[in-house]
Amino acid sequence: MRPLRLTRRLGLRARITLAFAVGALLLSALLSATTWALTRENLLHQRENSATVVVYRNAGFVQQQLAPNTDVLRLVSNLATPLGAHPSVYFDGEYTPLTTEFGKDALPSALREAVLSGQPARMRFELRGEMQLAVGIPIPSASAAYFEIIPLNDIESTLDALGVSLVGASMVTTLAGAALGWWAARRALRPLSGVSTAAMALAAGRLDTRLEASEDPDLRPIAASFNDMAQALQDRIERDARFASDVSHELRSPLMTLAASIEVMDNQRDDLTDRARAALDLMVGDVVRFQQLVEDLLEISRFDAGVVRLELEEVHLAELVMQAVSHSTEADVPVELDAELAGVVVQADKRRIVRVIANLLDNAAKYAGGATSVSLRGVEGGVQIAVEDRGDGVPEEDRALIFDRFNRGGAAGRRGRSDGVGLGLALVAEHVNLHGGEVWVEDRADGTAGARFVVRLPVEEQE
Amino acid sequence: MSTRILAVEDDERIRTAVKLALEDEGWVVAEASTGEDALTSFQREPADVVLIDIMLPGIDGFEVCRSIRRISDVPIVMVTARADTHDVVAGLEAGADDYLTKPFAPKELSARIRALLRRARTSEVSSPHLRFGDLEIVPEEGVVRRNGRDVHLTKTEFRVLVELAQSPGRVFSREVLLERIWGYGYFGDGRLVDVHVRRLRTKVEADPANPRHVVTVRGLGYKLQV
Repeated sequence: MRPLRLTRRLGLRARITLAFAVGALLLSALLSATTWALTRENLLHQRENSATVVVYRNAGFVQQQLAPNTDVLRLVSNLATPLGAHPSVYFDGEYTPLTTEFGKDALPSALREAVLSGQPARMRFELRGEMQLAVGIPIPSASAAYFEIIPLNDIESTLDALGVSLVGASMVTTLAGAALGWWAARRALRPLSGVSTAAMALAAGRLDTRLEASEDPDLRPIAASFNDMAQALQDRIERDARFASDVSHELRSPLMTLAASIEVMDNQRDDLTDRARAALDLMVGDVVRFQQLVEDLLEISRFDAGVVRLELEEVHLAELVMQAVSHSTEADVPVELDAELAGVVVQADKRRIVRVIANLLDNAAKYAGGATSVSLRGVEGGVQIAVEDRGDGVPEEDRALIFDRFNRGGAAGRRGRSDGVGLGLALVAEHVNLHGGEVWVEDRADGTAGARFVVRLPVEEQE
Repeated sequence: MSTRILAVEDDERIRTAVKLALEDEGWVVAEASTGEDALTSFQREPADVVLIDIMLPGIDGFEVCRSIRRISDVPIVMVTARADTHDVVAGLEAGADDYLTKPFAPKELSARIRALLRRARTSEVSSPHLRFGDLEIVPEEGVVRRNGRDVHLTKTEFRVLVELAQSPGRVFSREVLLERIWGYGYFGDGRLVDVHVRRLRTKVEADPANPRHVVTVRGLGYKLQV
């Protein structure tokens, strides 16, 4: 199962490359092996034939010279043999080799038997680790035989050299195959990487991303269906965004009438019965909530529609934070200011920063028993505003979700407070992102229970 | 004579509710549902404050604003859909003194109207005759002259100029001006100041692009150059 898992883990490109490399390796190995085998046979054959011719000639010479009193050793040493060949003569039941080591014992017994029974023979064999050729010619007229051992090791070394070059060529071919595979895979996958880039762009919110129409008949349907999908997605998202915005817009007129009418009634509250007054109070409270919800929905639907832009102005940062806190629902929270930031003026959208601080304090008041401190510190490349509260903190798994719309967090749900709207933190995230900053929640730095909401804003300082 | 407010709003229900709320403040409210009605009504009987919804059928709120400005320096409050759109600046440039976004609480509207009325009436602060180069300001008479000729300012523009002129050379931040003139705290919209200063310059400066009297102090605010 293991190799299967490996291939499954490999990418498509790697697999194509691997297939090309293995194919090239097999093919070149087959070709090399065939070449090597054919060359070897050919070389040996040639050598055997030429050696055999010489051996016959020498055998003829021996036949002529051989007489009962002949000095056989002298006769053997007078033979003209090729370099490295070892002749020996069998005569009178005795072997007389030129070199002692290449006598009777060196010759394969099968060859000897065949030759002594009157049959010329030749045979390849191995002696002392080297390939040798033995040729034997019977000389029936003198009941003798002529033998010669010819070394084939020079052919062996030629074949070794050939083998090395063939292995080298195979490796180069394999690498070339892999390179070809990689290139082919890249070419084949290039349209796919275009699709993936486009899909990532879509996911990142650039809804007008489309693939270029392709000439390739294999790719055209993919591009077309991808673009159809992107269009459908864009339409859908825009429709949803428009719907939220339209609904909120439509809600504003009746809300306006309601708010004004309730105020008129409230002016006459002394003339009302206790029951009517209680009902009026409920209405007043909920119209305020309703108004906040519509405002938040409108604000967030503008983010969705992508029509928001920063209204940058020069803002005295420390003063902005102080003012935002003192006008919030948590006006008494102590504010800690970094001395370095006194007098620093930055470009920011005042309204949005104020909303960020107000919403964070509101969140602390509603779900965490109130804020304990607000701090403004300079950090590298920007400033950091942190709001700490005295609640139970936010569990690790909720920390990203808490900035989602209409998510009031598990803890808030348990406590059963329902006067929050659930868009506050989502809007904080949107406002902060619009400024190019980030917001997150963590544990309080001093180790006590409670959450610490941190907003980091990049700022370009004014002189 | 009681204060008269002209409310221009095409939604009858909103108009009626706002009228009821404003009448609770002791003001007389005249209604108009279209721009044309508003202009006819204003010409027949001028109001002390005009409330205009920008989104009107027929001639729109900006045009109504400009038409009224041509004949009167009455304080105008406009109602826009959103605070962060170009509508606000366009409305202020058309001559509005202040703005509110829908839906607003009638209490907020009354507060704005009161601030405008106070401004309209207390501009008669007893201050001596002030002179800055070619510019002459007579706060008591509510008159500004440039090279001896009367310059016509709206009441808000006049208040901005007098505020700056009472401490010549001192830098006023947008926040301070918003508080003193519009009655807003720190959270007023700085564009109110910017647009009013821009309009003021077109009237009191020889070259509004290179102001000599009302100058910008970058990052801080505005001052009247001595």
